[in-house]
Amino acid sequence: MISRGLIKRITCACVTFACLAVVSLAARCGVVRSASEETGLVNWLFTGNGIEVELVQRLPDQTRGFFLARGFPPEVADEIATSCIFQTIVRNSGTSTHPVSVDLAQWRLLHADGEGGVRLKEAWMDSWPVDKVSQASRLAFRWATFPTQQEFLPGDYNWGMTAFGLAPGGVFDLNVVWQEGGQAQSGWIRGVECAPDVDRLQ
Amino acid sequence: MSDMKFLWIPVVMLLAFAGLVPAGQTLTPVPGDVPAPDFSLPDTEGKVRRLSDYRGRPVILNFWATWCPPCREEIPSMNRAWRVLREEGVAMLGLNVGEDEDTIFVFTADYPADFPLLLDRTGEVIGQWPVKGLPTTFVIAPDGTIAYRAIGGRVWDDDALLEMIRSLKE
Repeated sequence: MISRGLIKRITCACVTFACLAVVSLAARCGVVRSASEETGLVNWLFTGNGIEVELVQRLPDQTRGFFLARGFPPEVADEIATSCIFQTIVRNSGTSTHPVSVDLAQWRLLHADGEGGVRLKEAWMDSWPVDKVSQASRLAFRWATFPTQQEFLPGDYNWGMTAFGLAPGGVFDLNVVWQEGGQAQSGWIRGVECAPDVDRLQ
Repeated sequence: MSDMKFLWIPVVMLLAFAGLVPAGQTLTPVPGDVPAPDFSLPDTEGKVRRLSDYRGRPVILNFWATWCPPCREEIPSMNRAWRVLREEGVAMLGLNVGEDEDTIFVFTADYPADFPLLLDRTGEVIGQWPVKGLPTTFVIAPDGTIAYRAIGGRVWDDDALLEMIRSLKE
């Protein structure tokens, strides 16, 4: 005869195992696409081992206004604004005790015209002649854009603008690469859409 | 009915693993005795403040900017934490990166900060600290070494965080 206590323990163990299996699978990788009811802007939330990456559309006009207000020449502000800028948030999701690190230089984009990479802040800043963009403007750009390399411990997150280099309205698949506890990891965010420019808004 | 109690255990575990149970606030200990880079900066009242003048007290040093949403988000909890901690001898400094007094003045009408706000107009000071993004906060021990860091915003009046800061006084 099997005792009631043993049945309870077996049931509990089975439910626990099933729950952990489901969570473990769910935590491995996943992408949730949603849109803000207020603004209509779309965001993609990617979850992988130990990491969350969120991409939030920024309208070119938002970005243009931000940099114009910080002293950028109009043509430079426009070039940045029309380079498919996303507010990017990276977080150590705390599902692991390991540090998580990212290097944006390792992220790859696939799009209709081929493939490419993130346009890094260093490349932007090197492209401006010293007398064209002031030190104050460079300072604002430096701190408003996502760092190329960063390590996150549990509880840490950072955010900043990231330029994916496509024209407004462009669509791409993004290969997100990260290290979790020294192990290389990667996953895809498919069908990411750059925000359209003002003249294409409905 | 008592059998059902056992089923709560895996459910709670599920929620915890899924991140649905609110995670506690944490600060990352900084290993070794890393000295906090000293600086002198004016605050929004024009008073020059030197970090080393706070030696002997824990200092919470927060790097921020007005255009940074998570920076704005954590200001109310920093105010609440400071109201408690200032009575206990803990200092709190908000170090604004790259903006002028007028910008901060307008900003603080909507987001009042009760603790001193310093102006690092040129970014010279932040360049001497291991900061990659805003907000980043360091907790400096009374001996002038960096005890903890937090990348990204926190809820500063969380009991766990307050205790970590208080323990530096011992």
